[in-house]
Amino acid sequence: MEAQLKNDLVNVFKSKLSSQMLLNLDTCSRCGLCTEACHAYASIPLVKYAPAYRAEVVRRIYKRSFTAQGKFAPVMGEAKEITDAALMELKEAAFSCTGCRRCMVYCPFGIDTQQIMSIAKLLLVAAQAEPETLSMLADMSVSKGENIDAFKEGFLSGIKRLEDQMIQTWRDEAGEDPIPTDVVGADLLYVALAGAHSIIPSARIFNAAGEKWSLSFFEAVNFGAFVGDPTKTKLILDRIVNEAKRLRVKEVCICECGTAVRVAKQLKGAPFKVVSLTEVHARYIRQGRIRLKKLPGSYTYHDPCQIARNGGVYDEPRYILSHLVNDFREMSPDPKYNWCCGGGGGLVAMGDETLDFRMQSAKVKADQVRGSGADVVVTACENCHTQLSDLNKHYGLGKEVRFLSSLVADALLPEPQEARG
Amino acid sequence: MSTMAFDKELDLRNLPCPMPVVKISKGIKEVAVGGVVKAVTTDPGALTDFPAWAKTSGNQILGTDEAGGEVSFFIKRMK
Repeated sequence: MEAQLKNDLVNVFKSKLSSQMLLNLDTCSRCGLCTEACHAYASIPLVKYAPAYRAEVVRRIYKRSFTAQGKFAPVMGEAKEITDAALMELKEAAFSCTGCRRCMVYCPFGIDTQQIMSIAKLLLVAAQAEPETLSMLADMSVSKGENIDAFKEGFLSGIKRLEDQMIQTWRDEAGEDPIPTDVVGADLLYVALAGAHSIIPSARIFNAAGEKWSLSFFEAVNFGAFVGDPTKTKLILDRIVNEAKRLRVKEVCICECGTAVRVAKQLKGAPFKVVSLTEVHARYIRQGRIRLKKLPGSYTYHDPCQIARNGGVYDEPRYILSHLVNDFREMSPDPKYNWCCGGGGGLVAMGDETLDFRMQSAKVKADQVRGSGADVVVTACENCHTQLSDLNKHYGLGKEVRFLSSLVADALLPEPQEARG
Repeated sequence: MSTMAFDKELDLRNLPCPMPVVKISKGIKEVAVGGVVKAVTTDPGALTDFPAWAKTSGNQILGTDEAGGEVSFFIKRMK
């Protein structure tokens, strides 16, 4: 590695040394309570998957560059210089961590491994050694924001096809403008994903609730956050912020995408509220704006880590499910200690290249799902849905995997609601 | 457009986000520079994602063909 790059990377590292980060880097007592808390370690018991070890990969570089002992007696603290080999180690540590923060729940000091991994990801970005797929996806998202007019026609053409599909499926409720876009003064801007499954059920529910809404031109997912590039993360988020401001909406509702929800909820000082789709659906039920029929079968719910553990949305999905099903079976032992599905942190977005690791590292999740005894696994995150579907196939779980929003759409009672308007 | 010649066809129907773009970005590398990939999608987002990906990756969309709820992209590998 060239001296200039090494120097640049040390400066990049330095830029991340907030007081919170220093606490994360300086306080680990090697108690090991985090070890079994990681789904990857619990499924593949190799030390490199222990959260404290992952953090140590970053911490050794920290010691070498920023502590007196590391500078003058690096052997004593196993301090390490940034080298090409060290970058490869950082990459394995960062992209085998899903950022679920389950380890943080068990850590007596609350050390945030995901935050420490953000240093590793930033160093990889600075060295142009980040996963190519994630970088490509982030660039694509940024490009759309730079010139939406160039892509608007294609988007509207795609939406027209979905409207036709909606009218065929739900003729009585589609209305004249079943999927509104670019509505200045709308109350709610819905930011979906690229697939029909993320738009059609939600559109049906918004329309049934009498919501004054508008569909965003942009996809919710933030690939900049997956790759760990704060500049791209902001550019991708800014597309949505600017659209929301232009339309003067009161709320931005993020679809069933955990990372998108977490990133958007971290916005400070925006002139609108950020809510997850699950929270909006729970509100509609509470306000009597939609009514649901009960669906047959037994159900369990997988809390997406970025929405529940990292976003605090635990009660709303269960409230919705209490109106949807009679047979709900909580996963053991407790939602707050839910195992990560193993697909977060950009792993699912990297596709087949991570499939083997995703399946092996999430064996504990597969066991947890099987142990619920439910027929249907419900979740509210695209990554989780893909990963759970892959686990279902890989481990022969025999479950049906459903989005919570699609269940709500299926269960909508057709009659007009008294409370509407 | 459906008669346009191509060197490789990718079935990207009904894939979850963001797999259509992930698979085309890998699939385009399986043809020689100058070769054409036909990518069949059902994803409405592909109509914006594919042009944005082509722009940032330096490849060229020669044309699209819409039929029966599917959109086919004919993409030429440029580098």
